Amino acid sequence: MTGETRKRKWGICFDPRTKVLLLIISMIIATTAPSLSYECALILLIAVMGILCGKVRYSIIGTIVFLVLYLFTTLYLGNVTGTAYTMFTAWLSLVFKVYPCGMLAGIAVSTTRVNEFLSAMNKAHVPKKVVIPLAVMLRYLPTIREDWHFIKDAMRLRDVSPSLKELISHPGMTIECLYSPLLMAASKAADELAIASVTRGIENPHTRTCLIQIRFRIQDFLIICCFAVMMVVNFIGRGGAI
Amino acid sequence: MPTAKQDKTRKNGMTVKDLIVMGVFGALLMVCSMIGGVLFAVTPTLTFYFSIGAALLPGPVFLLLLAKVPKRWGLTIIGVIISLLSLIMGMHWGMCVGGLIGAFLADMIAGAKNYRSKKLNILSYIVYSFGPMGTYIAYFADPEGWASTMLQNGTTQEYINAMNNAAAWWVLIIMIVGTALIAWLSGLVGCKLLRKQFEKAGITA
Repeated sequence: MTGETRKRKWGICFDPRTKVLLLIISMIIATTAPSLSYECALILLIAVMGILCGKVRYSIIGTIVFLVLYLFTTLYLGNVTGTAYTMFTAWLSLVFKVYPCGMLAGIAVSTTRVNEFLSAMNKAHVPKKVVIPLAVMLRYLPTIREDWHFIKDAMRLRDVSPSLKELISHPGMTIECLYSPLLMAASKAADELAIASVTRGIENPHTRTCLIQIRFRIQDFLIICCFAVMMVVNFIGRGGAI
Repeated sequence: MPTAKQDKTRKNGMTVKDLIVMGVFGALLMVCSMIGGVLFAVTPTLTFYFSIGAALLPGPVFLLLLAKVPKRWGLTIIGVIISLLSLIMGMHWGMCVGGLIGAFLADMIAGAKNYRSKKLNILSYIVYSFGPMGTYIAYFADPEGWASTMLQNGTTQEYINAMNNAAAWWVLIIMIVGTALIAWLSGLVGCKLLRKQFEKAGITA
């Protein structure tokens, strides 16, 4: 994943630190938005940013899903009463609080490479005690999926089925067969990774270097300005509502 | 084969190996709680019980982690990382803050007996699994303000009535007791596994 050369069809690339900042801003907006129309504007802004980054299909689908949810809320919830109403109100308001951030996060994660992210963290002076586990974590997440498939195959080979039925009829056996190989593999991997990374100089006290230049450019300032204006408008709207 | 230099870093706290073990097990913790919780999070009627589902799976991982890295601030660092990642993945801020506080308290509890006492470790896991409830606590603190974003004309009287009902508080109580119970169960399973499998294999530090 990290070895391949960097190829991007088209689109502007933003500094990873900008993406984190935008996530925080949109989180503030989503938490304090006085009404749903502000959230619609936020979604539009995010969609524009997604298109700028080259994620056209993702942005359009995300906007349409939000629109469906919005229409459902305004048209349907006005006419319903009772328990269903209470349940849906609680759940939908959680969705509306999380949705813009989730959409932006999808764009940010799919356009940032792990090494870019890590060198940006280094530049932001995050301590090494946090950066090293974070790097290992991001590296290990895809491996868990792989391990899981191997474990399932091995279980089938030994006549232990990794299904829900088996879990209920023989809970102890199934749990042991799942956790032991998973945790064994994890601690072996940790040992090997530790040796490999010490050999490659992770304890080096000097600052880390990166082939890709990470710095704030003009587009970063522009997009931050857009989101900041949105936040100010949001607060003015909130003040007016109260 | 601890060299003089490694001994020196150990006195100062974390070795690189500890940090890497924490990364690997942090990834496992996160994946386990996601698998357990995702079904709850997307269902409207069950969304409040997310923390119960999230507490079900990671128990053994958590206990083995404590056995492998019995050092102060280890859990806190994992809390910081998981909160940071869930922030980046677009979770609600309540979950991030709650996770951070939960991990810090869990660190303090397990650290009181130097991460060696099984009972305290299970208790610390229970505290840790209260973390994701931050979102729902933010909800229960102000249910009217929460929904007012959505209903432009302010909340209806009916909604306020329904929320002020005892039913809403029952949900909170089920949430807390259920999470504690499931986390305790998961911790017990983890303890048993640890004794039966991993201590014999010699992979606890």
